[in-house]
Amino acid sequence: MEGGNQVELNMIVNGKKHNIDINPSDRLLDVLRDQLGLTSVKEGCGEGECGACTVIMNGDAVNSCTVLAIQARNKEIITTEGLEKNGELDELQKSFIRNGAIQCGFCTPGMLMSCKALLMKNPYPKEEEIRRAIEGNLCRCTGYTNIVKAVKDVVIR
Amino acid sequence: MQMMKIETPNNLDELINCLKNADSSSCLLGGGTDLIININNKKLYPNTIIDLSGVNELKEIKKNGSSISIGAGVTLTEVCENSFVKEKFPALAQATSQVGSTQIRNRATIAGNIGNSSPCADTVVPLMALNAKLKMLNGNGEYYHIPVDKAIKGSGKKNLKPNEAIIEIVIPYLKDTCSSAFYKIGSRKAVTISKLNGAVVVDINLNNTIVNAKVFLGSLGPKAFRSIMAEKVLMNKKPNKELLSEFQNILMKQVDEAIPGRGSQLYKRHAIKGMCEELFIRLFGESCIRGEI
Repeated sequence: MEGGNQVELNMIVNGKKHNIDINPSDRLLDVLRDQLGLTSVKEGCGEGECGACTVIMNGDAVNSCTVLAIQARNKEIITTEGLEKNGELDELQKSFIRNGAIQCGFCTPGMLMSCKALLMKNPYPKEEEIRRAIEGNLCRCTGYTNIVKAVKDVVIR
Repeated sequence: MQMMKIETPNNLDELINCLKNADSSSCLLGGGTDLIININNKKLYPNTIIDLSGVNELKEIKKNGSSISIGAGVTLTEVCENSFVKEKFPALAQATSQVGSTQIRNRATIAGNIGNSSPCADTVVPLMALNAKLKMLNGNGEYYHIPVDKAIKGSGKKNLKPNEAIIEIVIPYLKDTCSSAFYKIGSRKAVTISKLNGAVVVDINLNNTIVNAKVFLGSLGPKAFRSIMAEKVLMNKKPNKELLSEFQNILMKQVDEAIPGRGSQLYKRHAIKGMCEELFIRLFGESCIRGEI
């Protein structure tokens, strides 16, 4: 791969195959948000601390600001835009709304992806497991209580 | 970010080629949880990044005859969730489970934690206590082992030469009578750099007496180190709340010797007492420190 030139990236995002040209230095966050227009993926800190940029990569929650885009080659990425199916929100999204887990909404996409990744691996998490799954997602508004409640609500149902 | 070149070796042979051509402006990329942030913050300006994520030989945890090998590409999540690591090397499982957040642990690697060369690195302390070695590979195709203690240079100096890479972390099995524990103190419960961290390995005989002990401390100066004075206090004693008190006192003295006059000395000499208690609970159980044994 040549320095200074674009490189090719193949990946699946929200179920759709993409073959795009990227800069070698692009982060996954930059490609998802700026090139593919998936603006749910937000840069809150750029340092892997706030979790606003969290996406699911091959089943794992990751901070897309710390993933070099080329490392996503041949991988499956899910963002918040991919949770909705046939115009209907995911059960987790509905539960967030129902349980007052969203205030300003800035942390919400990242929070949803961390919670979704947890439920994909562990459909019946205990409260401490939910809290551990979101310890890398900062929320300045809700105090986290309703977010935890929203995940528990999905588990019960 | 500035223009740079990315190399994506698919196996060890291709990695050797990349290492052959590497120089001081090349960086190895594992999970990226330190490197990509440092590049984005303009603390690092590599001309070349060697992306290790495609080298499948680095992604295994292998049980050998007398040791376990953890590949340089194994994530901290995979380490801390591995049932063999949890059972045989709890100090390492505890350390890896307390780094960062779920998102960070899903990408970060032990090799990266060592390569990043922070004096606060959480995996370094248990690896030293467990007598771990690094299996290295260089641009000449040569494999060699370095004890973790020798590999760590301290003071944030780079632990690796430009043309070498960590391939595996090799940890010898402990005797069945041994147990280990790790604890860290940070400013938060999670996603926090350690202000203090420590790992202890003990060998206890059938009389519940400690016959061997290793105590390693980190975030207390330029390099994680062994506390011989703390080990002497534990030797030939039974774990109970009196021993905990002695352990706390000697480690306070150790802090005073390690960082005399530093701004954090007053805080750390008290905080280490809490760390001692948590280490004792993890090693010997809560009933030990409540004076019930």
